[in-house]
Amino acid sequence: MAAVVETGPQIHLEHVEKTYPNGTVALRDVTLEIPKQDFVFLVGPSGAGKSTLVRLLIREEKVTAGTILVEGQDLSRLKRRHLPFLRRKIGMVFQDFKLLPNLTVFQNVAFALRVTEGALRHLKPKVEEVLSIVGLEGKETKFPDQLSGGEQQRVAIARALVHDPLIFLADEPTGNLDPATSWEIIQLLLQINARGTTVMMATHNREIVDVMRRRVVAIEGGQIVRDEDAGGYHAPALESH
Amino acid sequence: MHRLWNRIDFAFSSAWQNFWRNAAVSVASVLIVWVVLLALGSLLLVLHSLDQIVALEKTKASAISVYLADTTPLSSAMDFKLHLENDPRVTDVTYVSKDQAMARFRQLPALDPSVIDTLGTNPLPASLDVTVRDIRDLAAIDQEVRTSPLVDKSPSTNYEPNVIDKIILLARVAGIAGLVLIIGLTGLSVFIIMLTIRTAIYLRRKEIEVMKLVGATDWFVRWPFIVEGLIVGVVGAAVAVLIVGFGYRPAVINLQSVLIFIPLAFDPAYLRVVLAAMLVFGLLLGSVGSYLGVRRFLKQ
Repeated sequence: MAAVVETGPQIHLEHVEKTYPNGTVALRDVTLEIPKQDFVFLVGPSGAGKSTLVRLLIREEKVTAGTILVEGQDLSRLKRRHLPFLRRKIGMVFQDFKLLPNLTVFQNVAFALRVTEGALRHLKPKVEEVLSIVGLEGKETKFPDQLSGGEQQRVAIARALVHDPLIFLADEPTGNLDPATSWEIIQLLLQINARGTTVMMATHNREIVDVMRRRVVAIEGGQIVRDEDAGGYHAPALESH
Repeated sequence: MHRLWNRIDFAFSSAWQNFWRNAAVSVASVLIVWVVLLALGSLLLVLHSLDQIVALEKTKASAISVYLADTTPLSSAMDFKLHLENDPRVTDVTYVSKDQAMARFRQLPALDPSVIDTLGTNPLPASLDVTVRDIRDLAAIDQEVRTSPLVDKSPSTNYEPNVIDKIILLARVAGIAGLVLIIGLTGLSVFIIMLTIRTAIYLRRKEIEVMKLVGATDWFVRWPFIVEGLIVGVVGAAVAVLIVGFGYRPAVINLQSVLIFIPLAFDPAYLRVVLAAMLVFGLLLGSVGSYLGVRRFLKQ
């Protein structure tokens, strides 16, 4: 296993290139550092490379060139059998929630512990703990199709939290939600961040990014075009228009 | 311990769900496994019977029965016996009377004695059973005794030069044909099990996606499908084992009554070996089929 570097950024991309087998260049020369407990918005038009970046971070894709270190581990050198253990350190949520429709809220969350062979004695208290963090007490026996979109995303967030992840990646988590519900989800992500977890959220939601004034990394055409602390959805020059 | 139990519990309950969720395909793969194993078990038993017959014929090969005409007086028969005994190529001659021949005949397995009783008279000839030193002399002796007026004309002896060769050839042809059939069916069943597993994987693709996302290991994801393949193999094998296990003895008894002169025997020790082999082969089919099913798909 790659040596774990104790200091330095938690996520470190250096000159990362990603070209898909069909020749599409998704990312070119991306260099980015994200320290522990940071909260980062990843913005940019569709097809800019945001999702590719997220997929590279959980090693669903491999880089074509360059280096990605997550928690000090070089992802391109990570052996396939060690990959599941990386994934347990990273919580992920998506626009489409990815809940299992035939399982209840409780079972959906517990599923993540069962299939990663977590200690079953702690399963019930752990599931109850994360469900209370996302505010879904009392909904344990409901099925996903009995819940609103916001509630479904909360279940997905709860599932992503059961392993106490060090990093939380959210790919368009509010993409299917109305503005009010979107804000609730953002509040939840802020809470998670306040507990010490690094949060990276890819989004199109201009309003949220502009109001939050957090770090913004903008990607266009596969390149980072802007990286500012307390930024907005668009570059300051554009915002004046 | 908890973890191991969790893994086993998850694998078996998921496999069982897969099996039923996907019932038509699962039943098809159970059927094909069943057919393969039924063919395998039957072939092994048939070849074993042919082996038994060959072994018996080989011991009989150095002897012929020379059938005596019913008109031959006993004293002439005894002279003829002495004449044969003096032949240096002959080691032993035994006289078998008509009554002794009938007694032997009655002892043939699965022969209904009442059928013989309806004959009224004894149709069997008396005979001289001649054992020779060297099998290669049998043909010459056979030719010589046929010229004697004491010898029955139809048939004169039971000399059958090619019987062993014929049985060996039959065993070989049956073996090769059976083997080809079984290899073909094995390929087909592995393929169908593979398709069953692929279907199960397809039906569970969302679950697999989530499992990988939250950090399940490859083997944790694979086990339910491997177990499903094993279930298919075991169920198919179990049905075939029951049929062969319970059908072998009645089949032998029925064949004995049809093929009275062929020494078929029921061999329970060999049957146990065959049944065990069928179960092992069923498990093998199931595991190979499901391994091929999961191998490519679950690698990304």
